[in-house]
Amino acid sequence: MDKLLYIAMSGAKQNMQALAINANNLANAKTTGFKADLAQARSMQVYGEGLPSRVFSMTERASQNFDSGAILHSGRSLDIAIEGEGFFAVQAEDGQEAYTRGGHLRLTETGLLETNDGELVIGEDGPIVLPLPVNNIQIARDGTIMVQPAGAPVTVQEEVGRIKMVNPNIRLIEKGNDGLFRAKDGEQLIADINVKVLGGALESSNVNPIHEMTQMIALQRQFEMQLKMMKTAEEVDTSASSLLRAF
Amino acid sequence: MNPALWISKTGLDAQTKQISVISNNLANASNIGFKKSRAVFEDLLYQTVNQPGGRTAQDTEAPSGLMLGAGTKVVATQKIHTQGDMITSDNALDLMIQGDGFFEILMPDGSSGYSRNGQFTLDDEGNIVTPGSGYMLQPQITVPVDALSIIISQDGEVSVTMQGEAEPAVVGQINLINFVNPTGLQPVGQNLYVETAVSGEPQEGVPGLEGFGMLVQGALETSNVNTTEELVNLIESQRVYEMNSKVISAVDEMLSYINQQL
Repeated sequence: MDKLLYIAMSGAKQNMQALAINANNLANAKTTGFKADLAQARSMQVYGEGLPSRVFSMTERASQNFDSGAILHSGRSLDIAIEGEGFFAVQAEDGQEAYTRGGHLRLTETGLLETNDGELVIGEDGPIVLPLPVNNIQIARDGTIMVQPAGAPVTVQEEVGRIKMVNPNIRLIEKGNDGLFRAKDGEQLIADINVKVLGGALESSNVNPIHEMTQMIALQRQFEMQLKMMKTAEEVDTSASSLLRAF
Repeated sequence: MNPALWISKTGLDAQTKQISVISNNLANASNIGFKKSRAVFEDLLYQTVNQPGGRTAQDTEAPSGLMLGAGTKVVATQKIHTQGDMITSDNALDLMIQGDGFFEILMPDGSSGYSRNGQFTLDDEGNIVTPGSGYMLQPQITVPVDALSIIISQDGEVSVTMQGEAEPAVVGQINLINFVNPTGLQPVGQNLYVETAVSGEPQEGVPGLEGFGMLVQGALETSNVNTTEELVNLIESQRVYEMNSKVISAVDEMLSYINQQL
């Protein structure tokens, strides 16, 4: 059978997978702090007998787009958005430190600060606990959490901790299967005091719908071209066999 | 089948839920004491198709793998307990909480519900009750039938003036209830919330003291729904919905193209 058919098939299959990445970005167009995945195709040459003409494609999720999303003001004291670059630290399900920009925070009944998914927010010395009951919570620009304990006069502001924020080189981090970011070498990142946080605001997803839609059209057309090649392979084959029949 | 179909389906589901949250907010925009909700989205787990670092040849590794996300989901609908605006009504039994706290309401099954809706009224025995379903305000306060006027102070003391008496007589005290995590309260309709495991224990206190809000007589708290914000959200959700359905139709076209061509 002609190798052309298999090469075109691999192209079509990889286009479908790139489209899945595309669909995931669009599905998360409203997820807080979401960073769009970037799909890229790489050529994978197959060595063997004959001419080195067999180059399959392979789709990869190379990285994420780390541009900031729009900042939406919500007015809720436990919403945070990171301004500019950086992440804040949370404890992932496996107990390891992971990093995110999704700043929907909430309190548990024991006063632990956690994200909406139940991951504890990490401060400079472990998870952050608020002395309950509290009246007023304020998160300062450097991540310091100030509370006014219930019953205390308004002038009393107690500092309960500071959210650990990091600003790693984006080449050294990757998105895990749970959507949180981790260092590629598995090490904990060092806190960076220059990362700024904005209380009462959330960062929207940075998915650019126009880009994704255009990408989708491009993938769809490319897919059709791969199928056209498969069709051509079939036609070449048919004419070859009809030629043979003629004799 | 193609994963993109199912990924986009989660996007459609999430936006449908978001639109129902928005429509509920808008429907209750003029509801006294109503607190708006918002839907919180999160990305679903990623599926590893090609592991990064996998071998591509004897001594080369793939620098990045292929992880396909499974879409999005609504993880929570969160009540936003910010203060609503004040409207004055001059009705003696209209109360507004300026600050934190809830009124405690006795539910028909004997448990307590909590509300920010201060449109109270009297029942046939002179008890202060909620206007819709007539549930009693806790602690129970009975206003004498022949009372001329009702005065409720900022710290919750209820007193009445009687015919021929110069000094008002105290008939009760309205206390407020607060929770560590009001977002964790479960809304049950009728402007009522009930306690849950994450809301924490109810803490009773005197209005205006220890962090509890003050009572304002003759005023009501409007809902905290910002209609402009809801409409902007609606536009956004609708467009995101359309884009997700566009992906589904694109995949559909691709699959039908296979069937036609091959």
